[in-house]
Amino acid sequence: MAAVGSAASWLFRLRAAGAEGHWRRLCGAGLARGFLHPAATGKDAAQRRQVAHFTFQPDPEPREYGQTQKMNLFQSITSALDNSLAKDPTAVIFGEDVAFGGVFRCTVGLRDKYGKDRVFNTPLCEQGIVGFGIGIAVTGATAIAEIQFADYIFPAFDQIVNEAAKYRYRSGDLFNCGSLTIRSPWGCVGHGALYHSQSPEAFFAHCPGIKVVIPRSPFQAKGLLLSCIEDKNPCIFFEPKILYRAAVEQVPVEPYNIPLSQAEVIQEGRDVTLVAWGTQVHVIREVASMAKEKLGVSCEIIDLRTIIPWDVDTVCKSVIKTGRLLISHEAPLTGGFASEISSTIQEECFLNLEAPISRVCGYDTPFPHIFEPFYIPDKWKCYDALRKMINY
Amino acid sequence: MRKLRHRCCSQLPKALLWETGGVGAQTLQVRPLSSQGSCTQPARCLPAAVVKPHPHRQQEQQFSSLDDKPQFPGASAEFIDKLEFIQPNVISGIPIYRVMDRQGQIINPSEDPHLPKEKVLKFYKSMTLLNTMDRILYESQRQGRISFYMTNYGEEGTHVGSAAALDNTDLVFGQYREAGVLMYRDYPLELFMAQCYGNVSDLGKGRQMPVHYGCKERHFVTISSPLATQIPQAVGAAYAAKRANANRVVICYFGEGAASEGDAHAGFNFAATLECPIIFFCRNNGYAISTPTSEQYRGDGIAARGPGYGILSIRVDGNDVFAVYNATKEARRRAVAENQPFLIEAMTYRIGHHSTSDDSSAYRSVDEVNYWDKQDHPISRLRHYLLSQGWWDEEQEKAWRKQSRKKVMEAFEQAERKPKPNPNLLFSDVYQEMPSQLRKQQESLARHLQTYGEHYPLEHFDK
Repeated sequence: MAAVGSAASWLFRLRAAGAEGHWRRLCGAGLARGFLHPAATGKDAAQRRQVAHFTFQPDPEPREYGQTQKMNLFQSITSALDNSLAKDPTAVIFGEDVAFGGVFRCTVGLRDKYGKDRVFNTPLCEQGIVGFGIGIAVTGATAIAEIQFADYIFPAFDQIVNEAAKYRYRSGDLFNCGSLTIRSPWGCVGHGALYHSQSPEAFFAHCPGIKVVIPRSPFQAKGLLLSCIEDKNPCIFFEPKILYRAAVEQVPVEPYNIPLSQAEVIQEGRDVTLVAWGTQVHVIREVASMAKEKLGVSCEIIDLRTIIPWDVDTVCKSVIKTGRLLISHEAPLTGGFASEISSTIQEECFLNLEAPISRVCGYDTPFPHIFEPFYIPDKWKCYDALRKMINY
Repeated sequence: MRKLRHRCCSQLPKALLWETGGVGAQTLQVRPLSSQGSCTQPARCLPAAVVKPHPHRQQEQQFSSLDDKPQFPGASAEFIDKLEFIQPNVISGIPIYRVMDRQGQIINPSEDPHLPKEKVLKFYKSMTLLNTMDRILYESQRQGRISFYMTNYGEEGTHVGSAAALDNTDLVFGQYREAGVLMYRDYPLELFMAQCYGNVSDLGKGRQMPVHYGCKERHFVTISSPLATQIPQAVGAAYAAKRANANRVVICYFGEGAASEGDAHAGFNFAATLECPIIFFCRNNGYAISTPTSEQYRGDGIAARGPGYGILSIRVDGNDVFAVYNATKEARRRAVAENQPFLIEAMTYRIGHHSTSDDSSAYRSVDEVNYWDKQDHPISRLRHYLLSQGWWDEEQEKAWRKQSRKKVMEAFEQAERKPKPNPNLLFSDVYQEMPSQLRKQQESLARHLQTYGEHYPLEHFDK
């Protein structure tokens, strides 16, 4: 009785303190055991670590861009923004809570460095943030807007799709808002549920006139964000929030550009092509090692990087070589961007395919809270799909 | 839980105990309590809750624990102990500023802007030329020559009065019923027509429906169909103008219907909080297609919303070109000098149908329309003024009507004869550079036309 009581109260204190990670450890140890054997549970909890569904793999230190510094994802974003504001006197950063540094610390220090007219809060209104940003860009100044979570971008959908994307076309190139960049935290984070986990790139993929870019790492993020800011078209830059702290690598201090609309083959292979973007790249990297180890299969891994306009040629070239394609994303299966890739590749590479194209995605549900471990397209689901493709 | 006890002596500052009941607070701003606490070593002691004034907070909230005034950060107001709901004033709303009466006579001579003859004649000629162009282009749609048209009947005064009060380089964001602004800025008839016909001379390259004008040279941002989207954009442009020290104002036109959109609320709030040099110009013309104002809002129009955002606001007689001029002129002067937004609600009446797709006899009486056309029209009122000044007469009127009609007809006939732009222009300007996939689609259309071209109206298009 006493054992159960003390276990229960210990459990309660952990829950009350919002220590979900502890709760997961407890679940992992087996609930019954946890209640009845607090001592044993304590030992298991100490041994088991919070396991994210991926392991971030840093890229080797880049040599060609000068001095580098260890940065995590949010620091690499800050660095890109810092470089932009230093180079371009018209550039301004705005959105909810950016002034004090941002809810994810991406804008820390910038207001002090560049002034309150250049880094400032707006009222809580996404349609206003994007509309305002378009207006700044129409005058030729550089506008860097932040939408606090990609889940909240929808009020701005009209301004993005009907206005920003069409500004140049509808005016016959008299006017444009090319100097607008919208940044937004994106993707699953372990506990975000419906409204802090979404990956809405597919909604925007259907909109000619904008570019959508998603980095997998700090080094990629800085180079891609700088390219977005300098690109003469309105861009949406989604930042995988789960990587803000978890992803750490050496990133050049000086500005550099990574080209848009160019996918990267991050590992060459012969048997299967794996395509993903953002966090999911690290999942499929692990799947590739599992495939090598358990099945002797050699995978070619492609980070798509730009969702639209996307690099059809690189993916085609790879599938022509391997004959098999697996695409994976967190966003729901139906209408997800994997469908666009799948459709185009089967058109272009039909005779090269050895198996149907496989899509491993989130289910067609809103993003759940407690069920996240079951929802996400983890390495086991990807591995299983790959295995079936090999055995087709 | 933040530690509030003095580090040296574990004393809770006395004032904190009294205010918070002893529960730890998060960001409590209090004055240093070195003299109030009973700390034994006050010089060394720093209550951990003492904070420096927040570097970025605009209003400094100085707390004094003994004061009974409200301390809420959200409002600057006194307490009241009487329960009373504020009555929105709907019986007698914000008054309507005017300079001329309905017969074009100046009411208060001190409000007469005393504009020179050339300028006032330019007002008149712009308004009447617009009216003539409207009649001909409306007719041309009825005859199937252009696909669509929107007239400006009755609202010419709002366009010309406001445009005349601006600098030529002030940026204009419109909705779709502001052609008079472009007319006043001497946009050629040829280009109005080119856009409506979508011919090779259209600066917009034939991409939009008629009346979606744009002109970079004349600082008139291309019109788009979605309503009110231009409002927060105009605010952003004004912010950029402020940063650039451009001494420019941005003017943003919209109707009373568009003012119901969320984008309008967003624009007003941003303009006020971010201190932007912008004039919000609302054309309240009584209808949003068929929806009368009684179904559009229940408050006192649009002008009454301004103060809710902290915006200086005025309501004017939109059919009185001098009232519009005076209000816009003053708003412009102050917006640029003080970096703050202004809201002008110009009351007017939409004499024409919403567009060529509308027949307004379905929802309003012909008598109502006739009243405005005959008794309170901006062009008539200005004509009376001109006549009374001796700056115009019947002969000049007849000659001008003939001349303006001839100009419009010539431009119209030329626009009709011109070909449409090359179909390749369907594909350009989506991005600054053409993506490779789009180029493939362009090539696929070219191949398709080689085989099936006879089924397409290629003969009307530029080769």
